[in-house]
Amino acid sequence: MIRSDQLDHGFVEEVMAEPGGQHLLTCWSCGTCAATCIVRRYEPAFNPRLILHKAGLGLREEVLCCSEIWQCSACDACYPRCPKEIHISEVMKAIRAVAIRAGYESPGPTAEVDETICSGCAVCTRACPYGAIERVTKGVNGSERTVAHVDRNLCLHCGICVAACPSGAMSLESFSDRELISRMGADGWLDKPGHLQGGSPEPRVLAFVCQWSIHSGAEWAWLDDLQSDTVRVVNLPCSGRVDPAMVLLALTKGADGVLVVGCKEGECHYVRGTYLGRSKLALIGQILSQMGMDAERVQFAEMGALDRFRLPKLISAIANDLKGVRVSAQVAVMA
Amino acid sequence: MGKLKLGVYWAASCGGCDIAIVELGEHLLDLAEVADIVFWPAATDFKCEDVEAMESKSMDLALFNGAIRTEEDAHIAHLLRDRAKVLVAFGSCAMEGCIPALGNIKGPDYALYRALEETPTTDNPHNWRPKTAFEMPEGTLTLPGLYKQVRTLAEVVPVDYSIPGCPPNHDQVWKALSAVIAGDLPPTGSLLGVDSRTVCDQCPRTREGKIRVSRFHRPHEVIPDPERCLLEQGLVCAGPATHAGCGALCIKANMPCRGCYGPPDSVSDQGAALMDAIVASFDGQSDAEIRQVLETVVDPVGTFYRFSLAGSLLYRVRMSELLSGQVCDTQAGGNGGEEVRS
Repeated sequence: MIRSDQLDHGFVEEVMAEPGGQHLLTCWSCGTCAATCIVRRYEPAFNPRLILHKAGLGLREEVLCCSEIWQCSACDACYPRCPKEIHISEVMKAIRAVAIRAGYESPGPTAEVDETICSGCAVCTRACPYGAIERVTKGVNGSERTVAHVDRNLCLHCGICVAACPSGAMSLESFSDRELISRMGADGWLDKPGHLQGGSPEPRVLAFVCQWSIHSGAEWAWLDDLQSDTVRVVNLPCSGRVDPAMVLLALTKGADGVLVVGCKEGECHYVRGTYLGRSKLALIGQILSQMGMDAERVQFAEMGALDRFRLPKLISAIANDLKGVRVSAQVAVMA
Repeated sequence: MGKLKLGVYWAASCGGCDIAIVELGEHLLDLAEVADIVFWPAATDFKCEDVEAMESKSMDLALFNGAIRTEEDAHIAHLLRDRAKVLVAFGSCAMEGCIPALGNIKGPDYALYRALEETPTTDNPHNWRPKTAFEMPEGTLTLPGLYKQVRTLAEVVPVDYSIPGCPPNHDQVWKALSAVIAGDLPPTGSLLGVDSRTVCDQCPRTREGKIRVSRFHRPHEVIPDPERCLLEQGLVCAGPATHAGCGALCIKANMPCRGCYGPPDSVSDQGAALMDAIVASFDGQSDAEIRQVLETVVDPVGTFYRFSLAGSLLYRVRMSELLSGQVCDTQAGGNGGEEVRS
């Protein structure tokens, strides 16, 4: 039940005054956005129609308190389908701007910059799918420098900037380089010799899996069953977070192959994460084959929201490919 | 206190590092006041036997430039490690392999085949190859054996400090030498002669920050705008993944940074860091578009690992399958005049 004395038209005006918020009242609540929403497939409680409706009524506290306004990943799957042509992710951004002004903070972690290391090279500002990073000139340790600055309203913690940063200045809670490497090597998994090194009878596969491909706790429990002496699954916030250094590190140790699983083309939550992940893997494959090694040792696979059961099959497929890999020592030098 | 004893050696290098020392200019006179040069094959007439005759730890500082490619390189690396109190990997070759280490992509047998047979201008009807020993009426002539891989100095002997650069900037060399002379050295294992952070920190160009690239150009294909970020103009500039220290020399000459100062402090693999930075600047909203951008990155190993291949994670993936320190097959087989199977 909605009480009319809770309605705050000032809130509606405040949202509409924000850039992107002007279309708030054009919504006629058809629900097409909810039907196409990718986040909703994993988070059934998330409903963009409802948020727009509540905001349009002026339910200030109810809208600002809810965690859903921070969950929209601005993939814009709903935008081309909305019959009223509302850019819903922009409206969400406007609502978040009001929330931040009112003292609310994003519940999720956001990317953090170590300003003492940052050179202001602008790699992260280009990498960010949301334009959430700007370069600002400020005093750092007593000297005037230009460094990256993350807008906490716009950052949706995909980790693409963390992988992209060539100075190691970016980090993301629970997905920092150190944390990922410790998950890759937990229980000494990386230190056991691989199939190509003549150790394990079966190829050993490290799989980096986008967390949106596997989401619920039940599914992770099921993944735990998949973990074995020959399979190690590590989740990433997005396949765009995959770092070439980590892939190569795994290959220098006990992993025969590295599989990176991202969302299907057009379903990536973070707009360009899948493309970036795929490009990185393609490039790593190219440098391996240029060095006389088999490019099959690193592979990228897509997994849609509805075919998550494919993960074990994907892993056994790469393991199968790895059985046919020749080590470079056997490749003719004059080739 | 007596004068310091200083040694300089070149292994697999181009000689640019020796020039970097000559480039000290008037500082050479300052150096001569406090130090005696006891070994420097590029400039003085001391021989290897002179170093062999020295006592252990009798040299205060040895600047070793060049990668380890031959048995002789390794021999002198061990010798200088023993004779010198402080051994410095001087320049990119000694520190991370540099251009000579690109030979690791195809290996020394191919290098000899290419140089002595494959090039159109080569006339070698008997397919001669250099042997490690050759009998002549006057006696046996010897050549050092080529190893199967080019290694960094630190892969062969423990190294105290490294000075990056291809070659190191002479101002930075003087800064490092001054620290040695003053006895004011940082903890062992540190880099000498560098500045904080990356080349971008010293680059005077403007970065718009949001421009992505829909194709990459090689430096000879375009004349870039001298005011704007080279990466944003579609040139693979290694600046973001390269330690500061050179003062952005190449960039001021309107050429993209090639990455000779090695990775910044918190990064282990320069090639991987650069690769990710380049991919992040790809433009395109679909797989097909991004693949088109990818195709314009020519020679990825030579581009991303131009200076750092020998010590890189990438090469370690392959090294795990090869035996370190073996002489290449062409020479080990002693096939000086025989035909080489290809």
